[in-house]
Amino acid sequence: MLDTEATLEIKHLIADLKPGEGDLLAALHRLQEHYGYVPPVAIPVVAEHLKLGTARVYGTVSFYSELRLTPPPETTISWCSGPACCLKGSENVRLILEAVLGVKMGESTEDNRLGLHLAQCNGTCDLAPVVWINGRALGRLSAADAVRLARELSPKANPPPAGKDGRSPS
Amino acid sequence: MTTYEELRQRALSAPGGWQAVESPSRPRVAVYFGTCSIAAGAGDTLAALRSEVEQRRLDVDIGIAGCNGLCYAEPLVEVAWPGSRRILYGKLTADKVSRLVEEALAGDGLCPDLALASLPPVGESPPAKGDAGVDGVPPIGSLPFWAPQVRRLMANCGVIDPENIDHYVARGGYSGLARALTMAPEEITKEISDSTLRGRSGSDFPTGRKWDFLRGATREPKYLVCNADEGDPGAWVNRMLMEGNPHAILEGLAIGARATGASHGFVYVREEYPLCFERLNKAIDQARERGFFGQNILGSDLSFDAHVVRGAGSYVCGEESGLIASIEEMRGMPKIRPPYPAQSGVFGQPTNVNNVETYADAALVLGHGLEWYTSLGTERNKSTKIFSLSGDVQRVGVMEVPLGYPMDKLIFEAGGGLPEGRTLKAIQPGGPLAGILPAEHVGLPLEPEAFREKGVQMGGGGLVVIDDSACIVDLSTYFGWFVEDESCGRCTTCHGGTQRLVEILRRWTRGEGRESDFENIKLLGNTLLYSNCVHGQAAPTVALNTLTFFEDEVREHVFEKRCRAKVCKGLIRYQVSQQRPELADAEAICPTQAVVKKNDGYEIDQSLCIKCNACREVAPQAIEVVDAFA
Repeated sequence: MLDTEATLEIKHLIADLKPGEGDLLAALHRLQEHYGYVPPVAIPVVAEHLKLGTARVYGTVSFYSELRLTPPPETTISWCSGPACCLKGSENVRLILEAVLGVKMGESTEDNRLGLHLAQCNGTCDLAPVVWINGRALGRLSAADAVRLARELSPKANPPPAGKDGRSPS
Repeated sequence: MTTYEELRQRALSAPGGWQAVESPSRPRVAVYFGTCSIAAGAGDTLAALRSEVEQRRLDVDIGIAGCNGLCYAEPLVEVAWPGSRRILYGKLTADKVSRLVEEALAGDGLCPDLALASLPPVGESPPAKGDAGVDGVPPIGSLPFWAPQVRRLMANCGVIDPENIDHYVARGGYSGLARALTMAPEEITKEISDSTLRGRSGSDFPTGRKWDFLRGATREPKYLVCNADEGDPGAWVNRMLMEGNPHAILEGLAIGARATGASHGFVYVREEYPLCFERLNKAIDQARERGFFGQNILGSDLSFDAHVVRGAGSYVCGEESGLIASIEEMRGMPKIRPPYPAQSGVFGQPTNVNNVETYADAALVLGHGLEWYTSLGTERNKSTKIFSLSGDVQRVGVMEVPLGYPMDKLIFEAGGGLPEGRTLKAIQPGGPLAGILPAEHVGLPLEPEAFREKGVQMGGGGLVVIDDSACIVDLSTYFGWFVEDESCGRCTTCHGGTQRLVEILRRWTRGEGRESDFENIKLLGNTLLYSNCVHGQAAPTVALNTLTFFEDEVREHVFEKRCRAKVCKGLIRYQVSQQRPELADAEAICPTQAVVKKNDGYEIDQSLCIKCNACREVAPQAIEVVDAFA
């Protein structure tokens, strides 16, 4: 394979990882930490370095919900899908975020400024229902809080009628 | 060669180490630092404390500890004074830091308004209810959430700095390993078997027997795997241990290595637990540096090392063969067993898999001996188990109680019961595969056999409390969706079966139920038993429990198209009940412009309404939810 600047950088990032030692996930995490995602151009490079088939590497990336092949949105709203959140109205929060932001769970806006991510429970259930805005928790959201939050994050989408309710969620 | 006793002395005398906690010579502040406290603002609290203390040039130590499980009172901050007065402050967000510093550090050393409880001197158990406490602050043992607890696995949680091995060793940590090194491998597995310890993830398989399997395997190298992929939503038992007492897990692994002949360990941590990944990595580095891991551990012939593998987001990787596949650089899809891991595990080598809590329990057995370990619990289940309590309950958190402790006391006394005005409807233990129990069984003792008798699994320790505002069909659909979404797709039985199951449940939430659905769910339940792994096999448990325990509510959905809790979106409608001024707020908050003003007042455009409840929150007296098919 002919090296480019990009592939050289990728090789450098994973240089210390060795074939046959179970390092594939570590390699993919490292790339995602560096680039924000796993660049598709990295797949054959990783495969060659760890002596695995490219299908195996691609198959691994596509299997896990936290690995991504496209750049992450500027702002990621991670919505907790756990049961405590479910009991406290997270489904309403999801419906509101999708309606106001105009994207479905797992999608991003066309300009990639905002994305909705389905997150798994990590046991911050005292804050249910909770979302994380680029990793920062925002908990105990009422439906009205969710509307205000979504409008704040996406001022152009679905503006409220003039002069009405622009407060931030508590 | 360094002996254990020498290492312990070194840990006790390390400058700025354990002494500063046990017998501080100047005030010491510890912020309880874990995933949930950070989410509640502990990071901001810590930063504010540092800057406030620096600004006032106070002679104060600032450190961290793991969380102690009182999630409902986070962020938690402890202030210890020389002379062993320790006060725990609750809900200490950054905005309260300057008051705390002013009154509890710069002033006379107490801020009564913010104090949650007084803590006993390190190393002593908390005084019980009725004891005076310190300076009018009640002892932590008098908090209902704490009162029933016996802290063994979590003895160090909220006490030691989890990132400092000296703290763990000073408290007697790694003495179980030191003892194991004086024993023959079969003596260790016998002691583990005699302890009654069985897989705490919910597998309930005898740990001693599992270790015997690996000990009996002849091929080398042999591996140990620690399943730290606590994927069951609503369970964060293992996270508490990894974040608050990580060396207990490593000690259990090294004891396991001595007992089985394993030379390397893989600790597989789920992606959602980055702090666990970080702390375990630090812990392993420190264990290596002190000689508890590595070549010729404590001068013995045992050589063992481990590393942490970080998952990437997949529920089925919690199934042991899926987890092994994930370590082996593959899609984390479970494999058909046999062969079992003891025959062919990681990279085809003999392997033993236990979860986090099980390894930590093994360290307790060896460290304290059988008599101590078996002095608590029931006939079949000795010692303690950690449970996480969440959902419709007053106090959310993590607690450790003797096995067999009554679940109703845990929910109503420790947890403070349900939200005001609500009654208990159901309990969902052990994750989406474990099932759902009706309120009538709330008195079950917390041990696996009692749950199994009811067709439900106790599982790994998650307990989600559900009140009467929830709809059982909605919940069943929710759990059905989860298992369908997380099915790996390898066997058609599971991925097809879970799809058909959730299709039926979804129809019920839309008023499209059929008489034949009942038989079909039972048929799916029987068919799914032939799935390759436990994910598919247990997938219909919640739905089957729902039919058994909540038949009336299901029949209402199917035959009357009615949802008594008014939750199922397909069976309800929002409408204006009364023209009131706050409908203007409802119009403003509606995310889909469904609240519209017509000539004779407001109405809700049903074609636009997404039934998100925002309007009713701002105008509860003007908007009502009614049956759509009434």
